[in-house]
Amino acid sequence: MNFSINLSLLTILLTPFFGGLLSYAGSALHRYVRNIFYIIFLALPFLELYPYFNNSVDFMPYATVFGYNLFLGINALSFTLLLLFTLMFFLAGIFLLFEFANKDESDLAVLEFMFLEGSVFGVLLAKDILTFFIFFELIAVFTYFLIQKGYSGSSKASVKYISWALIGANFLLAAIILLFTKVHNFGYTEIAAFLGNASPTFVVLVFAFFLIGILIEATIMPFHVWAPSAYSEAPDSVSVILSTVVKKTAIYILVVLAFSLFGLNLFLKIMPAVFNNSIVMYILQWMSALTIIIGTFIAIREEDAKSLLAWSSIAQSGYIVLGISLGTSLGVSGGLLHLINHSIFKGILFFVVGGVIYRTGTKKLSELGGLIKKMPVSFISMLIAIIALAGIPPLNGFSSKYLIYEALIEKKEPILLTIALLGGTGSFLYVYRLIHSTFLGQLSDKYTDVKEVPLLMQLPMLVLSILAILFGIFPSIPMNFVSKAVSYLGFEPIKYYLTGFPTQPGLHEVNILKISSTLIIGFVVSLLIFLLLPKAKRVDQLDNYYAGEKLVKETKYNYSFGFYSFFDDVLGSFSHLSIDKIYSNVEGLFKNVGDYLRKFYTGNLETYISYGVVAIVIFALIYVLGGVLW
Amino acid sequence: MVEKIVLVLTPVLAFFVGIFLVGFKRKMVARIHRRYGPPLHQPLLDIIKLLAKKENISHGVMFDLGPVIALGASILTVLFLPLPGFKLLTPYGDLIAFLYIMVIGSLGMALGAGESGNPNASIGIARALTLMLGYDLPFIIAGNTLILKYGTTSLFNLMNAQSNLHWNLFFLPLTAVAGFIATYGAMGEHPFDVVVAPQEVATGPMVEYGGKHLGMLMIDHAMHVYIETALFVTLFLGGASNIWIFILKQLGVVIVMTLVDTVLPRFRIENAVRYFWRWPTIFALLGLFIVYLGG
Repeated sequence: MNFSINLSLLTILLTPFFGGLLSYAGSALHRYVRNIFYIIFLALPFLELYPYFNNSVDFMPYATVFGYNLFLGINALSFTLLLLFTLMFFLAGIFLLFEFANKDESDLAVLEFMFLEGSVFGVLLAKDILTFFIFFELIAVFTYFLIQKGYSGSSKASVKYISWALIGANFLLAAIILLFTKVHNFGYTEIAAFLGNASPTFVVLVFAFFLIGILIEATIMPFHVWAPSAYSEAPDSVSVILSTVVKKTAIYILVVLAFSLFGLNLFLKIMPAVFNNSIVMYILQWMSALTIIIGTFIAIREEDAKSLLAWSSIAQSGYIVLGISLGTSLGVSGGLLHLINHSIFKGILFFVVGGVIYRTGTKKLSELGGLIKKMPVSFISMLIAIIALAGIPPLNGFSSKYLIYEALIEKKEPILLTIALLGGTGSFLYVYRLIHSTFLGQLSDKYTDVKEVPLLMQLPMLVLSILAILFGIFPSIPMNFVSKAVSYLGFEPIKYYLTGFPTQPGLHEVNILKISSTLIIGFVVSLLIFLLLPKAKRVDQLDNYYAGEKLVKETKYNYSFGFYSFFDDVLGSFSHLSIDKIYSNVEGLFKNVGDYLRKFYTGNLETYISYGVVAIVIFALIYVLGGVLW
Repeated sequence: MVEKIVLVLTPVLAFFVGIFLVGFKRKMVARIHRRYGPPLHQPLLDIIKLLAKKENISHGVMFDLGPVIALGASILTVLFLPLPGFKLLTPYGDLIAFLYIMVIGSLGMALGAGESGNPNASIGIARALTLMLGYDLPFIIAGNTLILKYGTTSLFNLMNAQSNLHWNLFFLPLTAVAGFIATYGAMGEHPFDVVVAPQEVATGPMVEYGGKHLGMLMIDHAMHVYIETALFVTLFLGGASNIWIFILKQLGVVIVMTLVDTVLPRFRIENAVRYFWRWPTIFALLGLFIVYLGG
């Protein structure tokens, strides 16, 4: 084991905190000073991470608490995620400057944003449960502050978020205390060694507590209820971070717990197996499958652009956790690859929707439409993102979803595969609805003067779009990282080549370059046919066929509200089911109990004194009578 | 070398087979209606007429690109289906990849129709996508049954596994029926023609298209007829040893479909989806259950 003190790891961890303080101090001088510090310190982790491209640090003690060492470390898995998250923070950070440009709380937002990045780094670098717990809760705190700075409903959403985060924190704390009382150490290795020989009930209990705490942040059903409101009411740059970083951090912890701290063999040893899975993993698979299908169906019916993305994000985290919970090399690779890919395309979608809101001021889909001619760059970015999200080749969503599907086939799980594939079709519905209602259809008169977002705001979308295309055609680029991470977790990495995956056990060959080059040839051929024919004349959007009706500017028909309204009829009474309602029933129960208790706790001093008198009388009676009777 | 020539010629073949099937269908419908019907090559004449139109209208770049992407994607899709005796590009993608490749064309078409700004087109696409969610469920389950039974996802292997009359139609009848109904729905025949529905949404996605755009969409439609029938033949009717038998089997599928198509009215969209999620899905699940227990 490598116990040497390595200051640069600590530097990575402290850079965002230091940068946040420095930019906050800089804001006292001038906004530009703040922005320069901010951008520099957002970009700095790229440089600091570079030496760890091929190196890992197992354990680096950095502090001692009650005589126990706390450790930091970096490995292939956390390096990959650190790199990805640094990129997402950098891009979202640029976006944040525009979003908060004219608001008073911009200085505070910058500070909290940097601190949030530091907390995320802390979780990824942690090598003991205390460090992990502290930074994991710091994430919740800064996220809470940042959500509050969002749209009109954000104060309610942030309270909902912090309540759920606290429920999760309590479960995590319970698990950590349980572990600490037995192990008397915080380090991951000591805990893993202890768990190998612990009693089955103890292991299951601790894992269940950890799982609940993590699944709340990972938005897996039925612990997702905070996410839709928080994602849609948070500022746009924070929504990006919530969906691409905060959630993925929780999934990282899940991976570490399931494969490194506890281990699949341990689960198989102590609990009954169901279809070649330990029962915990099997339950997790079904929870994520339900997350996929329910999340997708709700996203189809959403009317608010950001709520739609929130539900889509919940559904996609179902894919990631489904892949990971399969516990095979193929499944975990697919899950981790989808984690990276999802961050990329969901990042684009939140940036584009944020840009549209920045220009038009509304996130209601029914109020938008026809913006393609006004915001072409945003349109192309969103087009790339939705193709990727729907899992259509040759963009990046395809390869990862493909791996997850093949992993399900390899595991012989036809029902889960059906759900996952149907979720893929369903995602096609809501992404089309999103792009149609924002960019296609008819342009409203309100938006005739709308311009494309400023160049610096286009930068995040463009960078991620290029990544989506690159990672799509060359899945070897992200696979390079993923396979290192997978072998760190103890799986045999799957084979891949530059532009696809060769035939191997459980996987049919897929060559994305062949698909994309054939697509391009087909496209060029049909484009040639199109161009050789007589040229078309451009007409106005009102120059349309309406079955005999004459249309004027004042009475336009833009089909946008209730795009899939007939889908409600298809689902029938199922569409009224809601996990939220169950929780509100529980909440109602607590309220009733509270109301009942309030009859005693009136807040009136005299009542309390009389309670005290009654109690003294009762105790005195017991004392006196006790002396008589016994 | 031969492989490469076949690779180039397959889309052309697919187009002509598709045109033949479309023409045959029109003739057959006419005969059921006791009309004489247009000649077999009428669809070809229609396409030539449309492509030769001097005046075309356009609603924007995406509107123009819609038919272009749809046709380009159809060329790609055809090459990922095995042709009798030739693997074409099937070694580079399997059934799962094929399902996603098939969607590219629909996406192009949907984007193009969306830019026209005509509410009829938007309604048509909303219906098309909802219907897709309907027929995909039985089709996915049927596909999963085949994958589970044969332990392979390669279309070529799935086809070869059925040689010597070991057709899935005979050995997995429930799955084949579910697959047939799903394919039937994907072709948009009555009673599932909610997407085009001329009396309700004025041909839906195609409402604004005319001239060369519509001509290209008709080429794409012909290729789509080829793709859907060829997929069904490959998965359930044992493929074929030579191209003529293959076309004959496709013709058989079209004849059966037309017999149903001609005599039925139209579902409402929610009833259509509910139908797909009920009967074919139950058949497919039963088929899956049998294979799961047996294998």
